[in-house]
Amino acid sequence: MGEAILFWFFGGLTCVLALLVIVMRNPVHSAMALIGNLFCIAALFAMLDAHFLAAIQVLVYAGAILVLFLFVIMLLNLKDHELGNARQTATKIAGAILLCWVAFKLIFRVMPSTTAGFPAVGDDYGTVETVGRFLFGPHLLPFEVASILLLAAILGSVAIAKKKLW
Amino acid sequence: MSNLVSFGYIVPELLLGAMAVILFLLSAMRRRNLLRKTIFPGLAILGLMAALSVLVNRTSGGIFGGDPGCISGCSLFFGLLATDPLADFFRILVISATTICVLISIGSPALPKGRTGEYHGLLLVMCLGMCLLSAANHLLMVYVAMETVSLCSYLLTGWDARKCRSREAGMKYVLFGGVASGVMLFGMSLFYGLFGDLSFQGLHLALQGSGALSGAMGQWAATLSVVFMFAGFGYKIAATPFHMWCPDVYEGAPTPFTALLSVGPKAVGMALILRFFYSIFLFPGSMETVIGASGQIPWLLLIGIVSAVTMTLGNLAALVQNNVKRLLAYSSIAHAGYILMGVTAGGQEGFEAVSLYMAVYLIMNMGAFAVVSLVEKASGSEELQVFRGLGKRAPLVALVMTIFLISLAGLPPTAGFIGKLYLFAALLERGGFWFLMLALVGVTNSVVSLYFYARVLKSMYMEKADTDLPTIPIRNPAAVTATALSFATLFLGLFWQPLATAARWSATLFH
Repeated sequence: MGEAILFWFFGGLTCVLALLVIVMRNPVHSAMALIGNLFCIAALFAMLDAHFLAAIQVLVYAGAILVLFLFVIMLLNLKDHELGNARQTATKIAGAILLCWVAFKLIFRVMPSTTAGFPAVGDDYGTVETVGRFLFGPHLLPFEVASILLLAAILGSVAIAKKKLW
Repeated sequence: MSNLVSFGYIVPELLLGAMAVILFLLSAMRRRNLLRKTIFPGLAILGLMAALSVLVNRTSGGIFGGDPGCISGCSLFFGLLATDPLADFFRILVISATTICVLISIGSPALPKGRTGEYHGLLLVMCLGMCLLSAANHLLMVYVAMETVSLCSYLLTGWDARKCRSREAGMKYVLFGGVASGVMLFGMSLFYGLFGDLSFQGLHLALQGSGALSGAMGQWAATLSVVFMFAGFGYKIAATPFHMWCPDVYEGAPTPFTALLSVGPKAVGMALILRFFYSIFLFPGSMETVIGASGQIPWLLLIGIVSAVTMTLGNLAALVQNNVKRLLAYSSIAHAGYILMGVTAGGQEGFEAVSLYMAVYLIMNMGAFAVVSLVEKASGSEELQVFRGLGKRAPLVALVMTIFLISLAGLPPTAGFIGKLYLFAALLERGGFWFLMLALVGVTNSVVSLYFYARVLKSMYMEKADTDLPTIPIRNPAAVTATALSFATLFLGLFWQPLATAARWSATLFH
């Protein structure tokens, strides 16, 4: 019962904050809503016994990445007229309706039909040790490829930003 | 297979990665002119050739890379990768494409000279990502490899930071790419939620077993997630409705890199689509029942519609282009549509036709972009009007371009004709009404495409050159590469049997 209350609380808050991210006019407010949203998702992870993920979610997303977002927004310092007017076009409304329909189907039709049949997780599920074992065991290759990917991304962006080209 | 054993099978990728790191390190050292001009491209080509030779050696049953028993396919890294003829065929394709790109890049004015080392390093990392993507057998690996390819492409698209158009293209590519991979990830997460597995084999079993997909709703969710994932795949091959980035990005990117961009990601995207659809919706060991195995969901109809719309839209939009790079961009969208016809046809023939067409497309499209790069280098523009009188000014370059354009239009005696022949044959083999209709759309589109390819020809041979247009120097690597590619186009148009054999060999999948 307690878990259900917590789930609906954090889940509902996640959805509300996610909506706020896209409807807020001021980008700083959107970023703040996103921080709240990421915290709520971290709480959901914690409730699913994925403690490591919950900690990483707060550290990396809510901490580092969102601070970067805020830096960029404040550096750009966009005025109201530069943000442009929000327009309600027919496409947007049609898209929203379609998306609501998809969400409705997923939540009320698909979810009940798939909840059965998953094995229970072990006691050590989601701990740092288990995640580490997976990362350096079966999932070693994506881990290593990600390091090459990040290396290339860092070097490339520095090279692009460099002033002296010739 | 365990990690340590598996590393023996990805020696080409390891070589590419090592050479990329060497290039990155060297580019951090003090710059000497000699280093920029010859050492960097030389090292890149060395790495690519080493990877290619290991690969060819293994596929022909050589001494490197493990036991020959694995030739027909086995899984690596606990099922993350598969090594099979499909992966090896497309790896050879993308390594060749990257090599051609390095050759065309030599001396190109669109590439800032001060960062040649980083440029080649990024090309190698992109090639590594493409190799992994063509072997990926697990959705996690698909995502990581795809991001590797995408990030390098974003950077290299915006590489010519002096030009506003290049920066704009890079930015557009990042935004479109981010949205596409977000949608794809959502689809993958739905799949994981439904089946609790991300490996293709696991998904195959889950989809066949009645457990998770008992109700109509399970089917519905699976369809939705595959459609979402197709957004990511379709974005890589530039299929409608995910093609919008294509013309601007191709136009803005440095021309030598556009050549690779129009071929490499498309090839591995096709490899991924083939592997995904054939290993998930197919009974193991058979190539024939793509529809039957997937229950009530008409996958082939969906891909067929995407194919028809893609080629029609690409060809119609190409009709009005005056910039040759943009024209080739729309033509490459149309070609994605043609190749999807092969996927629609399915079965052994469809598979072979896709592989074969991809190889042919690589040769002719990279060749065409090589010529555009040459012309751009000499005259500083790639508008149609700088091609005027090319037949008089630079007869060899004009002749080479003519061969590529004829091949792209799909006329004999070029390789493009053979490629189209195989695609249409696969569809006709299939034989149903809708397959014939799709073939009809394809033929109509080929006729339409003649018009805009002929416009370039007309410009080269019939129109008088403006007086101040320069001649095109032909003693450089790019021109030699283009000429060699045109020979290959003609040769494969007359003696296509080796390529057809390779394509037949490639149509084996790890199950």
